[in-house]
Amino acid sequence: MRRVLFTISLLALALPGQAFARGDFDPTQEFEQHEWVPIHIGPLDLSITKAVVYLMLGSVLTMAFGIVFMRWRLKVEPDTRQTFGEQIYEVAETQIAEQGLPSKAIGRWFPYVASLFLFILVINLIGFIPLPITGETWHHIPVFGIYAATSSLSVTLALAALTFVFTHVEGIRWNGPTRYFKSWIPDAPKPLLALIVPLEILGQIMRLISLSVRLFANMLAGHILILTFIGLMFILETVILAPLVIPVATAFYIFEVVIVVGIQAFIFATLSAIYIGSAIEPQH
Amino acid sequence: MLATILAATSGDVTKAGKAVGLALGVGLGAAGAGVGIGLIFASMIQAVARQPELRGELTGIQWLGFALTEAVVFYGLLGSILAFVLV
Repeated sequence: MRRVLFTISLLALALPGQAFARGDFDPTQEFEQHEWVPIHIGPLDLSITKAVVYLMLGSVLTMAFGIVFMRWRLKVEPDTRQTFGEQIYEVAETQIAEQGLPSKAIGRWFPYVASLFLFILVINLIGFIPLPITGETWHHIPVFGIYAATSSLSVTLALAALTFVFTHVEGIRWNGPTRYFKSWIPDAPKPLLALIVPLEILGQIMRLISLSVRLFANMLAGHILILTFIGLMFILETVILAPLVIPVATAFYIFEVVIVVGIQAFIFATLSAIYIGSAIEPQH
Repeated sequence: MLATILAATSGDVTKAGKAVGLALGVGLGAAGAGVGIGLIFASMIQAVARQPELRGELTGIQWLGFALTEAVVFYGLLGSILAFVLV
């Protein structure tokens, strides 16, 4: 069985001989967005691109994931499927929501934080499964490729903007505008305040940048790393490198799938919970 | 000295400078993050060695710190790419 798999993978590597002739491989081309279905409403560009297709697929899969593992046929004595769902739910509840959110707001904001976690996890994961939606064809066969919607800054910035808006809306709703904005001013000697307050305001805006860039750059760098190592063969136009390049790319792939994908989803959701929680209950 | 070398260089010097800038930015960022991640895991090992019963609670904090530190590389990467593309 193992030998058959090995032969098949070797054949699969040897077959696209024409692709090897392409000397102009550029990993950044994989991240270009082409308008597949152009939709322009005034100045708004709502065209359906690769990232949009991945987002749609991700949303459907996230909903299916939640329904299949956490809603469907629940029993008092859980089977494997239900146990898996319960474990994920427990991570979302104890590790993410309860870390940041105060108990009075958990009922309201746990669904948001948990769906952020699940959504980013699913989108990151399908980013590492080769899917035939690259938009390119090779002899009328769709080319398989890896691409994550979260390796586009627009996607992560939109997710971070959601958290940013919710943070301040919740802060004002629970504390009132005066008390909330006063909580940004720390206890410090009066002359120093002129220096600290702009920094605090800058820090609030930097949260938006750090939250979005962390996820975006992690996924982008992960994909570029894998693509570059595989692409070395195409750039140097030689198959001799394969024994060196493929194990390294596989190692990075496993590192990304096992560690980075889960951690980034976890971090995004946890930080969202912490930001919203700290706005609801300011330090002073 | 430098002027003679520069005069002797054929090709696009600007491009070379950008490439050096990109590599240096990412490399220095990675150096800093490497130290930081090492510190986090070192403290985690120490903490678990001293109080093994806290392992479960500490793991969450460890991964949070890991991701926050690791992101520093990517700020360097992003800044370098901006310098590479925009300048």
